[in-house]
Amino acid sequence: MWPLAVSIAASFTRAGAFTLANYGTVWRLYLRDVGYTLGVAAAGSALTFAIAIPVCGWLRARAFGPVEFLLKVPLFVPFVVVGHALRVFLSPWAPGLAGSWTGIALALAWKHLGLAADESQLEAARNFGAGTARLTRDVLVPMAGPSLAVSAVLIFSSMLASFSIPLMMGRGGGAQMLMIDVYYRFGQHGDFETAAALGVVGYLMAMGAALVYLRRLTPRRGGS
Amino acid sequence: MLMRALVLLLALAVPASAATRLNVAIGADVNVVEVHKTVLGPGFKAQVPDVELNVVGTGTGEPASRAIYTKIKAQADAGRAPWDIDVALVSMAVASQMVKEGLLLRYVPQMKNAALVKGAEVKEAFGVNVDGYVVPMFQNQIAIAYNPAKVPAPPKTFDDLAKWVAANPGKFGYNGIKGGVSGVGFTMGWVYWKTGLYKQLTQGPFDRSREGAIREAITALRDFNKNVLVTNGNAGTLDALNRGEIAMGAVWIDQLVAWKNEGRMDPSITPVLPAPGLPIYPLYLVVPREAASREAAVRYVDYIATPEVQAKAIVERFGWYPGVDADRVLPLISAKSRELLFKGVSADDLARYSRQMPIKEYHDLITLAYEEIVR
Repeated sequence: MWPLAVSIAASFTRAGAFTLANYGTVWRLYLRDVGYTLGVAAAGSALTFAIAIPVCGWLRARAFGPVEFLLKVPLFVPFVVVGHALRVFLSPWAPGLAGSWTGIALALAWKHLGLAADESQLEAARNFGAGTARLTRDVLVPMAGPSLAVSAVLIFSSMLASFSIPLMMGRGGGAQMLMIDVYYRFGQHGDFETAAALGVVGYLMAMGAALVYLRRLTPRRGGS
Repeated sequence: MLMRALVLLLALAVPASAATRLNVAIGADVNVVEVHKTVLGPGFKAQVPDVELNVVGTGTGEPASRAIYTKIKAQADAGRAPWDIDVALVSMAVASQMVKEGLLLRYVPQMKNAALVKGAEVKEAFGVNVDGYVVPMFQNQIAIAYNPAKVPAPPKTFDDLAKWVAANPGKFGYNGIKGGVSGVGFTMGWVYWKTGLYKQLTQGPFDRSREGAIREAITALRDFNKNVLVTNGNAGTLDALNRGEIAMGAVWIDQLVAWKNEGRMDPSITPVLPAPGLPIYPLYLVVPREAASREAAVRYVDYIATPEVQAKAIVERFGWYPGVDADRVLPLISAKSRELLFKGVSADDLARYSRQMPIKEYHDLITLAYEEIVR
């Protein structure tokens, strides 16, 4: 908690005095980037589940080792390597895509696939034997609801804080992921205070996701 | 940043084994670290055998220099002496800040080669008087690299460049202001060209009434950028040039030369320096005020500033421009190295079109205007 408290305190300070100016700078210069970061993280999370749920549903038919293995591979690939690999892979085919928000969302989704496809879903899926897409939608997804929600919060928060992939794939102009702005503020300007304010905005966005999840859980537990 | 500082702390904490230990912190790429470890260090040790060099790299770009600043500042704030960095290689921006905050030793007058340390950039940096505190290890120039097969008549002026870009949308690239100093430097060159205020912006004093002209120049840059590929860094620009995605781009000359030397770059890609010019950005060797081995530190920098060492280690081996008096260094390099060094950008071009960075207040005003207007 100490480092967190220090960075929050720094975000309200400039030249040793209390101020809201750092948040003023965030509002004036980086509001668009806050929206962009939320958008990319939401798109990346949606894409992750759009790929992971059908694949897990299909896996309910049988335990198919190679597919399970492939789903887990991205978990062990470093973020920088994912960014570099996707950039190199996409550039010759779609030069514009690699540096765009869709390219970043795609790379983030690939990296987080292993988190979305957790063991409980795979095990639950296998217990159903042969089945269809409808079975996945009507039975498997509701069954795996709580673990899907946990995964969603984790994945979304992780994407909000992503740095290496946007750094490797993004462009130097246009909207940026928030962590790139944090790096720019202290790296180029030595402006730790605005960087700290951007960090606090990042915490709030991640906490927002966590609170939505907790509020969903609380009434359910209270009613059971 | 904190992690970099921690790694630096651990690397410097290794116990000394020789009579005098010289801790050298390099805020630059791995190739610069290697020069100190494999060329400059051993060469210095041959002259001064009782000194043991401990060379540590802190990464690349401005954050690398900031990691060194953070460590020295922490030791100064803690009131502890001596400090454990004896020689540091830092950027112009960080060196000027350290001089301003009284963290550096004014050591150049103690050097035998002090007379070779000359030029505007050793007198003033970002509006701070750095005279006597800094020795450029080498100079690095930002230039426009082009592919002669696609650009038969390279731009001689910024005006030519703007016209070419309008006629060839998407074929020019640079890295904006968030992708590194070459993009920042291009932006400064653009502002110098559009405003005609080079002298005022680099020499000061700061005058808020210039803001209108600066914002007008940046507005024009926003329109220029509509036809430009904004890359994610200097390497990204070189990569796009190499792949043919763009035909021209703003780059550091040293990285272009290095990639060509390593066979990673189309050898035909050539740099050009359009009028009224682009910034040159030195990396400075500095000695912290409370360095433990100040005497050895000054001797080490003095060794690096020797014309023979500059010619062999800095110019011939790495294709950098000399950090000290070029008139004394360049006669010592081979004809082949000279040709490589000045292909496209002649010594005359450098003399006429190498530009300084603006003073800090204008630098911040220009980058802020860029963030607000170009976005």
